Amino acid sequence: MTASSYKQFFRQHHEILVVGVAIVLVALFVTISRGMWASPYNLASILQVTATLGIMALAESLVITSGEIDISVGSTFGFSAITYLGLVPHLGSAAALIIALAAGFGIGALNGFLVVWFRLPSLIITLGTLLIFQGLCIAVTAGFSFSIPWAHRKNFVYQVLGGGNFLGVNTAVFWMLGLFILFQMILFAMPYGNRLLAVGGSSQTAHSRGISVKRVKFAAFALCGLLAGFAGVLEAGKLGFADGSMGRLMELQAIAACVLGGCALAGGRVSILGVLMGTFLLCGIQSFLVIMGVQPQWFMLVLGIIVVSAARADRVFRDWVLRGA
Amino acid sequence: MSDTRPLIEMKNIDLIFGTFQALKDVSVSFDSGELVGLVGDNGAGKTTLIRILCGMHAPTNGEVYFDGQKINRFNPRLAIDLGIETIQQAVGLCNNLSIARNFYLGREPVKRRFGLPFLDFEKMRKKSESVIREFGLRENVSADDEVEILSGGERQSIKIGHAVEFKNRVIIMDEPTNHLSVREREHVNRLAVQLKEQGLLVIYITHAINQVHGISDRIVILENGEKITDIKSRDCTAEELINIIRHGGRVGLAENRG
Repeated sequence: MTASSYKQFFRQHHEILVVGVAIVLVALFVTISRGMWASPYNLASILQVTATLGIMALAESLVITSGEIDISVGSTFGFSAITYLGLVPHLGSAAALIIALAAGFGIGALNGFLVVWFRLPSLIITLGTLLIFQGLCIAVTAGFSFSIPWAHRKNFVYQVLGGGNFLGVNTAVFWMLGLFILFQMILFAMPYGNRLLAVGGSSQTAHSRGISVKRVKFAAFALCGLLAGFAGVLEAGKLGFADGSMGRLMELQAIAACVLGGCALAGGRVSILGVLMGTFLLCGIQSFLVIMGVQPQWFMLVLGIIVVSAARADRVFRDWVLRGA
Repeated sequence: MSDTRPLIEMKNIDLIFGTFQALKDVSVSFDSGELVGLVGDNGAGKTTLIRILCGMHAPTNGEVYFDGQKINRFNPRLAIDLGIETIQQAVGLCNNLSIARNFYLGREPVKRRFGLPFLDFEKMRKKSESVIREFGLRENVSADDEVEILSGGERQSIKIGHAVEFKNRVIIMDEPTNHLSVREREHVNRLAVQLKEQGLLVIYITHAINQVHGISDRIVILENGEKITDIKSRDCTAEELINIIRHGGRVGLAENRG
């Protein structure tokens, strides 16, 4: 491989950076924690958290790719989780799932509609819906939490939807892997993905080629809501209870995972593998801090430092691979 | 197709934005196989006029005919379907996508597998690869390279190649040589002449008469949203035309000469 051909490879696979960092950090965690971090129990729990946060980060990455941002995913997650848990005892898991997904999709579609047709900045709109649905979550639960009686947790559908394990890990992990493969195909091998990337890269160009920028962005928001809602269902299934604070601040972690994974906040650049690794890193670091007995509050501080460094490292890396191209 | 009918005919076009009249009673027609220089100072209405042709604005008053058919709806999709392509400096390529992906943006070829539409990468690469070679890009540029790494001239070449490959009938070049090096500028101008020789209508927008006088068949000058001159290039010199623009159309050709 010549110098320019490996630079081309890096240019097209910017997630290489986060994958490298992940490998180094995992090696560090394994050594420093003397095997505790890498114990099967701990790994399974990291994977479960990675699964739900990962699906949310995937959702977020679609909107970010289109050049917008959705900071309401945390409350979409919480709202769908509460909807699901509130309905499972009455309607069964399957029907509750459909209604919870519809709720997530509806919130995403509302965001998309307001952003696209009223031409309002997505940060403001989704800040609004974040507060609205967070408020609704608190109002609906009225300070209490919903929980599922044990009898319902034996149900097969409930188990498949994050409520049980398969091959030693939570079923949510398999959903995440499936969705990541599906969206890898949609984004990079199908016309919708090509258009989504184009809209994020230059919406004027996309428009001049006859692409409906509005429709593409609306679809990104609606899919985002749907996926965030599904992540909420999986998390609710795992915990078996939900209160009004569910999903709070998770939008920030989802955005952080996207940034870590090499998504450009300006749009047009995304890596599915990068988002997955970014999420895994966040969850791995969080778990490492817990194992090392660090107070959980410090995680936020570490998260902030990671995001800033990631943004900076990504810029340096990008400048380097583009130089002399 | 009759020989007398122009390919595009714009009749008495007015375009009003709020209280601002961007175009005033402009009538102009264009034929196939013609290279027309559309010239005017900044803000003269050149780009606005062209935006009607590419479906981005609808005229407030007036009629537009394409190949004898009256156009009633104005949207970019329709312009694309009619074979009108605009080449603009800032628009037309997504820097973040590969050349092959850019090439088919908006009309991606698909292969169906399990009923799902998958991009036909083989076809996308093959055609864009041939344009890369034909339109004089560097040897080491491949269809999988992002547009980001191309020079300004290479980007223009890709856009022109794209317009040709898709068998367009009208190519509008909006200030195509801004920010280009002298050699790249000549390359783009040569391509413009080639397109015209292949029978396409080329509308070449610029504020620099010298740029287009030597290669065009006809020059149309706009000033303040009005058409002030429409003349065969061989019937006048570039200096005379510059003088017209300098005086904002208050001086005609004859007085100019006298």
